[in-house]
Amino acid sequence: MADLTKLTIKKFHDGLRAKEFSAREATQAFFGRIKKEDSEIGAYLSLAETLALEEANAVDGAVAKSKPIGELAGVPLAIKDCILIKNLPATAASKILKDYTASYDASVIKRLRGERAVFLGKTNMDEFAMGSSTENSAFRVTKNPHDHTRVPGGSSGGSAAAVAADFAIAALGSDTGGSIRQPAGLCGVVGLKPTYGAVSRSGLIAMASSLDQIGPLTKTVEDAAILFKAIAGRDPLDATSSDHDYDSITSLPSLEETKKITIGIPEEYFIDGLNEDVAKSVAAAIEKLKKLGFAFKKISLPHTKYALSSYYIVMPAEVSSNVARFDGIRYARMPDIQTHDGKLLDIYLKQRGAGFGAEVKRRIILGTFVLSSGYYDAYYEKAQRVRTFIKKDFDEAFKEVDVILTPVAPNPAFKIGEKTSDPLAMYLEDIFTIPINLAGLPAISIPTKPYPLDGKELPVGFQLIGKKWHEADILNIGRHYENN
Amino acid sequence: MSSSINKEELEHLARLARVELDPGEEEKLLSDLGNILDHFKELQELDTSNVPPMTGGTDLKNVLREDTERENTNRGSGVEAFPESKDGFLKIPPIFEH
Repeated sequence: MADLTKLTIKKFHDGLRAKEFSAREATQAFFGRIKKEDSEIGAYLSLAETLALEEANAVDGAVAKSKPIGELAGVPLAIKDCILIKNLPATAASKILKDYTASYDASVIKRLRGERAVFLGKTNMDEFAMGSSTENSAFRVTKNPHDHTRVPGGSSGGSAAAVAADFAIAALGSDTGGSIRQPAGLCGVVGLKPTYGAVSRSGLIAMASSLDQIGPLTKTVEDAAILFKAIAGRDPLDATSSDHDYDSITSLPSLEETKKITIGIPEEYFIDGLNEDVAKSVAAAIEKLKKLGFAFKKISLPHTKYALSSYYIVMPAEVSSNVARFDGIRYARMPDIQTHDGKLLDIYLKQRGAGFGAEVKRRIILGTFVLSSGYYDAYYEKAQRVRTFIKKDFDEAFKEVDVILTPVAPNPAFKIGEKTSDPLAMYLEDIFTIPINLAGLPAISIPTKPYPLDGKELPVGFQLIGKKWHEADILNIGRHYENN
Repeated sequence: MSSSINKEELEHLARLARVELDPGEEEKLLSDLGNILDHFKELQELDTSNVPPMTGGTDLKNVLREDTERENTNRGSGVEAFPESKDGFLKIPPIFEH
């Protein structure tokens, strides 16, 4: 039997239906690999073996009785720890939630349960999804499976590493400023950030509510389309979710048809600070798409350079409000924190002081500052107006082209510890992904061919940005890219 | 527009945000926030007087639902997930002074 941990969703489904293996065997194969290798990589925070095997058995029962099963039935998935699965821990990699167990399923989990997917466990991340390297986890370091001295990216670094190391067929992550696409790029897997409103955020521990979206990390673009289709759609529990029709998202039009899409190259994304190897790899991807027959056009997104500042005002403002609910009274309480007088205010100060890591505190304070009286207009409202400029840039560009191609990140995976002492240097790793969240657009990170660095092969990703609700455009280009 | 936060302001903000900071954290935060706020100065180059603020991620307006009876099923598990509870009630530390 072939190595079951190497399969894509598509191949898993075909093999399961042909009875080449059982869902139980596949699930066990994944736990076998995880137990052997994850002490080194650190992709998971907790495993759900009992629950996973029960679900796999149920799928095998359905296959044995020749009942119809969906494409995700029995598929072993890894879930980012900020997405709730009932009765499993959901810490968001924060000490303040160390003892929290989810009391309900996130809506995306309910959907995937309906498809009878198997949840292997919860993956490591930057605390409350704040970071670009997964080094802000309160619990463990995650290593890049391609080079164990380097970060996997973040904040969905555990999910990206799990897929790259064959610890899951696919995974869910969340993306507020690049947290799916950047780790996907650094780990050499595919990551899709859907249009804002395409996927319900109910049951996602909120970071910045006007920017957050849940999306898939997968081995192929085809798998990303399959997983995206399963989780997309209107949900009464998220008022911003849309009933946009994605029914045909997994059917791939011919190359002839797809070639009618025009791709824009924004000059502002190919800057001096861009790593030379990243530039070469992305240029090679563009060449390949040109050979396939896609038309390219130079475009301009003139306000790009202001996106980072706008984001680092809007996002912390929302963070300071969202994270207020973690007060040491609700959700979970750290038992060994001594208070001065046992009164409520002191409990808040002590629990939050000890429960949050440095980056979370930095963003809470920054957010509180930009929202405070006297500074609100100069920072928060100014940033929201600049956000309008960013969105208008895209609106203008999309009058000329259908899709925009850029690098995912300015550098390949950097060394563990390299950027932890300088928050601004870390923030700059997200400059190519942040504008997309500000504008609410869909974007996908797709691995280019690996290239040599220090004698090692490190992945690089390119990003395709689509019009709102046009996930099909970026997925279809990506599928033709990976098929050829 | 001031681009730095002094120690007193930081302590005030931390108190408002209900986060206790130790002296080492304060020092690091003062320096980090100074750098970050300096970076934000670039926004002053832009004249934004004629653009409206983008106040959210969605274009949807007034998402309403029928005001009908709904079954709320999550109460029990919500109580169970709470750190301390008694007879189905949530138990919290005293709020009022004696």
